[in-house]
Amino acid sequence: MDQTHHLRSARFRAEREADWQLLEQLVSLAERRGLHRMEFAQARDLAASYRRATTSLAIAREISLDRALLEYLEALTARAYLSVYAPQERLGGLVSRFFLTSAPQAMRRSWVFIVIGFACMGLGALTGYLLYLENAAWYFVFLPPELAGGRTPEATTGFLRSVIYDSDPDSSGLGAFATYLFSHNTRIAIFVFGLGVFLCAPAILLTFYNGLSLGAIMALHVDRGLGWDMGGWLSIHGVTELSAICIACGGGVQLGAALLFPGVRTRRDALQHAGRDAVKLALVAALMLVVAALLEGFLRQQVQDMSTRYTIGWGIGALWLLWFVFAGRVRK
Amino acid sequence: MRLWPRRKVRPSPDVILPPEGVPLTLRVAGIGVRLTAQITDVLITLTGMACILILLALLNLTRPQTLFAVAALIFFLIRIPYYVVTELVWNGQTLGKRLMKIKVVSHDGRSLGTHAIVLRNLMKEAEIFLPGTLLLTLDNATPIASLTAFGWVVMAFLIPLFNPYRQRFGDLLAGTHVIHLPQPVLLKDLARDAPEPREQGRKLTFLAHQLDHYGAFELQTLEGLLRADDRQLSPAAYANHRKTLATIIEKIRRKIGYGDPVPPEDHAAFLSAFYTAQRAHLEQRQLFGDRRADKHHAEADPPA
Repeated sequence: MDQTHHLRSARFRAEREADWQLLEQLVSLAERRGLHRMEFAQARDLAASYRRATTSLAIAREISLDRALLEYLEALTARAYLSVYAPQERLGGLVSRFFLTSAPQAMRRSWVFIVIGFACMGLGALTGYLLYLENAAWYFVFLPPELAGGRTPEATTGFLRSVIYDSDPDSSGLGAFATYLFSHNTRIAIFVFGLGVFLCAPAILLTFYNGLSLGAIMALHVDRGLGWDMGGWLSIHGVTELSAICIACGGGVQLGAALLFPGVRTRRDALQHAGRDAVKLALVAALMLVVAALLEGFLRQQVQDMSTRYTIGWGIGALWLLWFVFAGRVRK
Repeated sequence: MRLWPRRKVRPSPDVILPPEGVPLTLRVAGIGVRLTAQITDVLITLTGMACILILLALLNLTRPQTLFAVAALIFFLIRIPYYVVTELVWNGQTLGKRLMKIKVVSHDGRSLGTHAIVLRNLMKEAEIFLPGTLLLTLDNATPIASLTAFGWVVMAFLIPLFNPYRQRFGDLLAGTHVIHLPQPVLLKDLARDAPEPREQGRKLTFLAHQLDHYGAFELQTLEGLLRADDRQLSPAAYANHRKTLATIIEKIRRKIGYGDPVPPEDHAAFLSAFYTAQRAHLEQRQLFGDRRADKHHAEADPPA
């Protein structure tokens, strides 16, 4: 009997080496083809062999000083761990689950924050409206010139009407859709959500500011007797788009609130927990912004009738509401 | 007996505890590797965007005025699903990450969830891409928005520098971080196929007190040296190597008080015999609860 057999760690390795090599093959198979495409016996062997390898690793750390062996086992077990605990979800199931259950449920769970978002926007609009009626100079404070597009208090009523009922074919189609999607409001929505993390304040302020400009522009048109026409022009996409901003604000406020009032959790845990719903809110807002851009790019210039504009805008708004309120309810 | 020094030891960022309860070492990937992977991914998605854009231009579906907006839209529509789908299908690896051999893992050692993957990639949008696009489209007319976007992007890049796991903001929210994929390579057991001493009838034996001088660190350094022996060496390097071996053997002999001089042809055999004997001794001590980290074990931890 030669001396090496006195070495416990050498015997330990000799006994298990074959099993480790089998595991190595199974792991590379799982990495190449994916767990769900492996045969039953192979998947079973992978799991069992992985657990034996973790035991081997734990023992080797105690009894062996062979660095090569320790490093090999460490790497092998880690590789096996990564393929055993791989995400096992189909893409199709993921998408349908989002639309049917998880998104509307998240919306219902965070209704308080969404109400806060709408309240910020509404209060802003009211303030902007009243301030404009008090002094028209406020208009230039609230609306940056590139957003107003010439619709200032100095503009003639005829010009304002022409903007509302404008049927320039250039501002329609794919290009217009893309332009509107990356327009002012999308940026506002992104910042409103992202900045919510900084203790809510930026999100609330931005939404309020957005409401101010909305109120000011409405007041200008009401002042000229174009209130209902402007309402129609805004409604067709604005119901969806402004709601999206309010929902994004709700998500941002939710993140900020988790940092401000973490409760029994640590701040990091609270942020992660709030993130689960807030991200769904952001996704819903993104979806709504895309729909709004579609409406703005393709429908706004083609539908010139005021009441049809109202019907389409608020009808789609009602569909959103139906989705949020009734989808994904669990029957008791 | 005190195993740990008194000062508070922070757990190494490279250790992950899987549900099996045996901690695994997975080295955290640095900023450079991740940036390279990210740039590769951006190049891949940009190529896809360019292809579709050229197709649209050939079909006469775009106008020069809106070309930029359409390009941004297509880039957006390609990259959003690209990151989520590749990380879902390839278990936390995009093409760029596969290239750099890095991978996303769940911070708590559990399975990497769909929610985590979607979250960390959407946050990438909010962290880098959208402010970045904004930065590119803005001009001097709106300095405040430009500065805000710039500050935001800078902050997003700084966050990973200030935590040991190199997590982005999206990683923090999703509870993930990125690691180097370990490569298992099984080397031969040095204790099993040790060369025999050339001198017949001569057996190299070491006594227990001779093996009490060194600890695991010295043993594993010797292991590294013996493994390096296998490589092909040029004549000059080989002579140098022989000289190193002779010096090391002389040092060991003096330290442990090994009487007989070792003839040059037995150098390799002596070192492997010493390695095997030392390893057997240290492993034996370790089984009895006497872990010897290095040669200072006697001073650091006097036997009771």
